[in-house]
Amino acid sequence: MKTNRRIIRVLIVVSALFLALLSYLLYFNMFEAERVSTNPYNRRQWDDERYVTRGTIYDADGLVLAETVENESGGVMRKYPQGRIYSHVIGYCSQVYGKSLLEREYDSELLGKGDLDLFQGDKKKGFDLNLTIANSLQKYAYEQMRGKRGALVAMNPQTGKILAMISLPDFDPNAATLEKSWGDIVENENSPLIARAVQGLYPPGSTYKIVTAAAAYENGLAGTKFNDEGKFTVGDLTVENYNGKKYGEISIEKAFAVSSNQVFCSVGFELGSEIIKEISERFWIGKSIEFDLQTAASRIEYKKMSDSDSALVAIGQGQLLTTPMEMAVICSAIANGGEIIRPYLVDSITKNETVVKSSKEKVLGRAISEECAEYVKERMIETVNEGTGTKARISGVTVAGKTGTAENENEKDHAWFVGFAPAETPEIAVAVILENDGRSGGDSAAPIARNVMSRYLSSVK
Amino acid sequence: MEKANFKLPAYLLIIMNALGFLLLFMANDYRANVLYVGLGLLGLFILIYSILVICNMGDKFLVLIASMLMTLGVLMLCRLDIIMGARQIVWICIGGMVFFVTYCIYYNIRFWNRMWFLYAAGGIILFVLTLVLGKTVNGSRNWISFGPLSFQPSEIIKIFYIMFLACHYSGSWTKPFLRLSPTLMTGAVTYVYILFLVLQRDWGTILVVFLIFIFMIYVYEEQKWFLFANIASAAVVAAFGYLFLYHIQVRVGVWLDPWADVSNKGYQIAQSLFAIAAGGYFGRGLGNGAPDYIPEVHTDFIFSAICEEMGVFGGAAVIILFFLLAYRCFKITLNTKNLYNKAVGLGITLMFALQTFIIIGGVTKFIPLTGITLPFVSYGGTSVVVSFASLGIMQAISALEARKGGTERDENE
Repeated sequence: MKTNRRIIRVLIVVSALFLALLSYLLYFNMFEAERVSTNPYNRRQWDDERYVTRGTIYDADGLVLAETVENESGGVMRKYPQGRIYSHVIGYCSQVYGKSLLEREYDSELLGKGDLDLFQGDKKKGFDLNLTIANSLQKYAYEQMRGKRGALVAMNPQTGKILAMISLPDFDPNAATLEKSWGDIVENENSPLIARAVQGLYPPGSTYKIVTAAAAYENGLAGTKFNDEGKFTVGDLTVENYNGKKYGEISIEKAFAVSSNQVFCSVGFELGSEIIKEISERFWIGKSIEFDLQTAASRIEYKKMSDSDSALVAIGQGQLLTTPMEMAVICSAIANGGEIIRPYLVDSITKNETVVKSSKEKVLGRAISEECAEYVKERMIETVNEGTGTKARISGVTVAGKTGTAENENEKDHAWFVGFAPAETPEIAVAVILENDGRSGGDSAAPIARNVMSRYLSSVK
Repeated sequence: MEKANFKLPAYLLIIMNALGFLLLFMANDYRANVLYVGLGLLGLFILIYSILVICNMGDKFLVLIASMLMTLGVLMLCRLDIIMGARQIVWICIGGMVFFVTYCIYYNIRFWNRMWFLYAAGGIILFVLTLVLGKTVNGSRNWISFGPLSFQPSEIIKIFYIMFLACHYSGSWTKPFLRLSPTLMTGAVTYVYILFLVLQRDWGTILVVFLIFIFMIYVYEEQKWFLFANIASAAVVAAFGYLFLYHIQVRVGVWLDPWADVSNKGYQIAQSLFAIAAGGYFGRGLGNGAPDYIPEVHTDFIFSAICEEMGVFGGAAVIILFFLLAYRCFKITLNTKNLYNKAVGLGITLMFALQTFIIIGGVTKFIPLTGITLPFVSYGGTSVVVSFASLGIMQAISALEARKGGTERDENE
């Protein structure tokens, strides 16, 4: 019967509608629920806090960095005894504006979710976090960076432990101050809410010659001589050396130490876009780095990259953007023999001083061979000893480093320095960027990196 | 003839009631009133079901499925507010009586198919009454109050509308009216209804009415142009509405991005999504969630509350129960030989299915949100009573068919 046949088709349509509802509900729960439930407007996030005291965050030496205390009216309040110094590491935790950074990423741990211990009195306590950062170094680095705009990342290149992490400008994360000054913070044109160390994307400038030098070594260009006339020209692209210097006949090794743009543009152009792109990917450009905080993915933004584009990328300009964290990871790869190591900030999660979970070192991948890393390391040592990075020298310690002075449209140059020490057995790798500083990386960023490395090395001795 | 075992689902219903209310009793500081409500509800179900079985009133599953849905609804309502849960039981009690009354009337009267004019006019009179006497609730002017009692005429109009459509599509009404052929007449009445609903800003009911109309045309109309013409005109009207009606723009805007204005326009849907997200797969447990953060949680948004406390699997159970209800109704419709009953059955089936899809899709942000009740689950007298009345008609249709086709079987047994 015709009617029945059509009714059966309607039944099929209705079944499809119900199936779509079911699938959507499952999809929502699998892929969207987590993002939705951490929305700051979700009042449920604060419900748990009525029954659980949020865990404390300690530095590497057991100093309190964040704790929840009761105020006079019996309510609870998050306190940050170190003030602004950790505003871009720990973030904030406000009933009005929600949570950020570690407070957000480790929310369920801090609230003790999954803690099956039922016998602990009226109010449960969440898990505590122990960071890899020692307050003494963080505070020292903060003082070095004071008054600047930019970021500093210091990490152990062998293990990936973050030793200091600064982003400036910053803000006072204590809830009362934060809520009062929120309007100013949000409207401030310097965006103090951005954790520049992991979220800021900058052209890396000449510090990226580290990657280009590795590519040159892999492609047999080590020892090649170039004729440097101070200017690289191809098509309508012209790139000059910093301050218009001309070096004449120069080896690629020397060109690295003095940071010749002409030579490295030529290398980038000759190797071509495919090789530059491929080695960049091995150094984790185009992927976000696995970390305790959300990191922006460093990237090369060309839709189709030509060889003259790769000449620019080879000197860290063009459509290449990297985070300070990425530069610290690249620098660590040279220091540790070519491996991309996962940086981490939370050393362990504890409850009443018993470890619940502790972080392990993890190698994300190999970028280059040990020989290649050794070659680039030699170049970086030369840079500090007799090239552009002399202001990073520490007496009695061999330092490896690379300076960068990144041009950007309409504004003053960014000053960069990345380096590690001691070069023989690296213990600390540092990346420093000073936004729109105007001076060269060797003049302004290198001394800061030196001081931080020197301070760290003298404290561990 | 099939001889399905309907005892097993009946036991399941009893177990579900017992466990559900016991759990709520424990979560509610062991206050006994929860148990009274639970016992009352279970007693009511057993009574309705016993009458159904003893009097051999057709399909045995419809009422069981609806009872399971009502159990979930009342459990949730009691958890939100025990008084509301108790009131809902009163409505279910009245609904149960309406169910049997509708059943008897529909079963015994044989000239339903000749009263198209009454249905159409009755609908329009109710609409006019709503416009004159109505009051606005949540932006929709679709309530009429008589003293302390108030009801939503649009719920009743839906049934009139289905019976009206069935007159034409069963082929019982062939004479033109005012020179308009019945085909054009049904179209005209549909659009007049929709116009009234636009005036009341009752977008959810518009969607239900129009989709029932389209599916009916698809099944019955021989001239395909009429189907396409209606779909095309609907597309034009929808585009027009989106361009010029602020209400529709807001709804679509909030659907595309509720987070843009969470504190105002997106508030409701955001709260609903927060609740569903909080539930996870197995829910936070009865009494452990915070469904009271959702506005209108006892009516339109009850599904989100179920998802929060009983989890996505609880929500999936509700969807599957509605699917079973629709499937059972489809089966009855397909087995019915009487053309008028078949058309009415199809209409009611579609009403249950579409209404469920529209509101569950709405509160989960699958489709734009249009406020409408979830049959049998949402709180509300009109909703419960009209759902029961529709079920009564469906039950009568199944009984009529069984009685006719079953004569032979009865002799064999």
